[in-house]
Amino acid sequence: MQTRGSSAALRLRGLSKSYGSTLAVDRLDLDVPRGSFFGLVGPNGAGKTTTLSMATGLLRPDAGTAHVLGHDVWSDTVRAKQLVGVLPDGLRLFDRLTGLQLICYSGLLRGMDRTVVTERAHELLEALGLAEATGTLVVDYSAGMTKKISLACALIHAPRLLVLDEPFEAVDPISATTIRQILEGYAASGGTVILSSHVMDLVQRLCDRVAIVAAGQIRAEGTLDEVRSGMTLEERFVDLVGGQTDVGEGLAWLRSSSD
Amino acid sequence: MVALIVGLKWQLLRNGLRRSTPQLVGLIIAVLYGMGVLVAALSGLVALRFSLPSDVARTAITIGGSAVVLGWTILPIIAYGIDETLDPARFATFAVPRRQLVLGLLLSSLVGVPAAVTTILGLATVITWSRSVPAMSIAPVAAVVAVFTCVAMSRVTSAASFALSRHRRGKEALLLLMLLLSLGFGAATSSVMNQVSSPGLLQDLANVLGWTPLGLAWAVPADFADGAIGSGLLRLALAVVFLVAALLVWDVLLRGALENPRATDGGGSANGNKGLGWFGRMPATPTGAVAARSIIAWRRDPRYVASVVLMLLLPLGLLLPAFTGSGNVWTLAMAPAAGFMLGWSTHNDIAYDGTAFWGHVATGVSGPADRLGRLVPTAVAASVLLPVYAAISCALTGRWSAWPALFGMGGGLLLTGFGVASVMSVLKPYPVPGPGENPFGAPPGSSALTMVIQAVAGTAVFVVNLPLLFVGIGALFGHVWMGWLCLGLAVVFGSGTLAVGTRWGARIYERRAPELLADLSRIR
Repeated sequence: MQTRGSSAALRLRGLSKSYGSTLAVDRLDLDVPRGSFFGLVGPNGAGKTTTLSMATGLLRPDAGTAHVLGHDVWSDTVRAKQLVGVLPDGLRLFDRLTGLQLICYSGLLRGMDRTVVTERAHELLEALGLAEATGTLVVDYSAGMTKKISLACALIHAPRLLVLDEPFEAVDPISATTIRQILEGYAASGGTVILSSHVMDLVQRLCDRVAIVAAGQIRAEGTLDEVRSGMTLEERFVDLVGGQTDVGEGLAWLRSSSD
Repeated sequence: MVALIVGLKWQLLRNGLRRSTPQLVGLIIAVLYGMGVLVAALSGLVALRFSLPSDVARTAITIGGSAVVLGWTILPIIAYGIDETLDPARFATFAVPRRQLVLGLLLSSLVGVPAAVTTILGLATVITWSRSVPAMSIAPVAAVVAVFTCVAMSRVTSAASFALSRHRRGKEALLLLMLLLSLGFGAATSSVMNQVSSPGLLQDLANVLGWTPLGLAWAVPADFADGAIGSGLLRLALAVVFLVAALLVWDVLLRGALENPRATDGGGSANGNKGLGWFGRMPATPTGAVAARSIIAWRRDPRYVASVVLMLLLPLGLLLPAFTGSGNVWTLAMAPAAGFMLGWSTHNDIAYDGTAFWGHVATGVSGPADRLGRLVPTAVAASVLLPVYAAISCALTGRWSAWPALFGMGGGLLLTGFGVASVMSVLKPYPVPGPGENPFGAPPGSSALTMVIQAVAGTAVFVVNLPLLFVGIGALFGHVWMGWLCLGLAVVFGSGTLAVGTRWGARIYERRAPELLADLSRIR
């Protein structure tokens, strides 16, 4: 594999994006080392989705650069996109296709061979526990199944870097375990994963590196232990991001048993 | 509670406008258009006040009013503009007493441009009937009943189509119904237009309509003006009974929607298609994959199916004059019309992807693959339809020599349409209903933007084809050689514009695919 003098699987420099007067991402720098399992955590509206979209070529940054394994996402687009598998959050799928068709579509769009695509698609469906739903339209899938089929689409071309936005949202524990096992296997064999999540426990268990994002900037970044610095990830997170309100004596009317 | 629901509708309308300037422009154009219709109709109603025999007023108001009620009734099925912002299913989680919900939704339907125009026109009939005191005093009551009937009927239709569309079978039935309705509507309008010259028939029509639910309320003041108070009161009573009945039906349908709010496509939707389907049949290239995906969408996505039905229907509608005996000149337009519509139909294709378009952006599909692949389903359909339509026209008119010209015009319009659409659809996608929503609905305030873009695209195709059409029409006037020239021109000229259009579109696509995705996430 070519290195081009960069050891980072994903390198973001000075990424910025604003929507109207709101600054969603503010000169963000981030390095995701190769082979790492990277967790991006942050409160709602911190700019996680915006950052990951800009890193994968789905959203053009106002300023800054993104490199995937040394390839500039915004100038060496085709090569960079071949190396990345994406699972975005909150975007639709071509849901009138069957599960098998959707995976094959992702592969064929990337110019892959049909036989290879079909073989891999069946293997993925099997591994993700979707074999039964091979011929079902994706529109009829449950939320968890939809996440799993999206993951399959992201994996079909054996990418070197996986960018997953909220891969565990609305996913039941069984599907979550399946997804986790596949991701762990992928990372163990040298692939790089970056995922965003609200679920601190999960990030703590899965990831070896973590970054905490708030208001469009990285607040803390490093190995899990560095970031935690002796606390749980959740404590450290709340500590850094702040803004937690003390409920105290408010909402008294809600405590119906208090009389 | 009722006031709250009405307020909600008002708030939604205002917030929608705050969100985007195009929607505001849309509303302004809708208001201007509504004003135009309003002024024209108002002057008509005032003029009727001074028309000598009161019969004319009766005929005009009964027929016009019936048309308005009919329009409200079928609009939710066949046209866009009726918004679903107050989709009853969204109230399912709130414990709103159903009676209040019915009333609230009914009154909230009165907020909006079409309802305002209808209400003003209804009340303006009071001016028309100011020729007699009893008529003038009953006219406002009748008008209110009529306006509520309009709104109630539109709610019944949209609730009924919602109930039907919850199942794949129902959706198909709905499309069929729509097809029949449009055909019937077309036939009815054309025969009414033919009879305008004979007022006797129009009077008969008014008499019949005056006793149907469509015209009952509108005919009440006319009876009062003629002194037939008894018959007038009977009509009014029947109109009220009908209105109540419509509300009850709506109430029942609403109950279904509230108790089973999720629009599902039902099980067993795999169509036994266990394999790759079209992905196995098309070439295994990105272009082939885009084409296969488009073909599947044209077959499975109700929004595409709806436009297929419309596209098949409109050229067939041109056959009607031939059968109603009003000449067959229009019949000759079948192939050109079909070519125009098919070519132009893809001009907003990317909007139908919605945010699923990210799949194309993330995989880095090349511009030509995206642009060309999307044209395949329509191209295949056109390669069958155009020669057949041209042949039907020739057979019906007995002028086989016209075939090259008809096919040539159709083909030229098709290919140029493809060229223009390839550029348009990457320039400015405009809002369309999401998958699973009413395929004939449109997001509120979007219709004007839609119309502007469609007009621009349509005009562009037309203008580019003027020389071709000139030659083609020349051929229809007997210069057979011009027909072959037209066909030749279509091939050269059409493929030229197609090549330029797709190449240009592909370049724009490659430059601004992420911006397109951003546009698509904003308009959804």
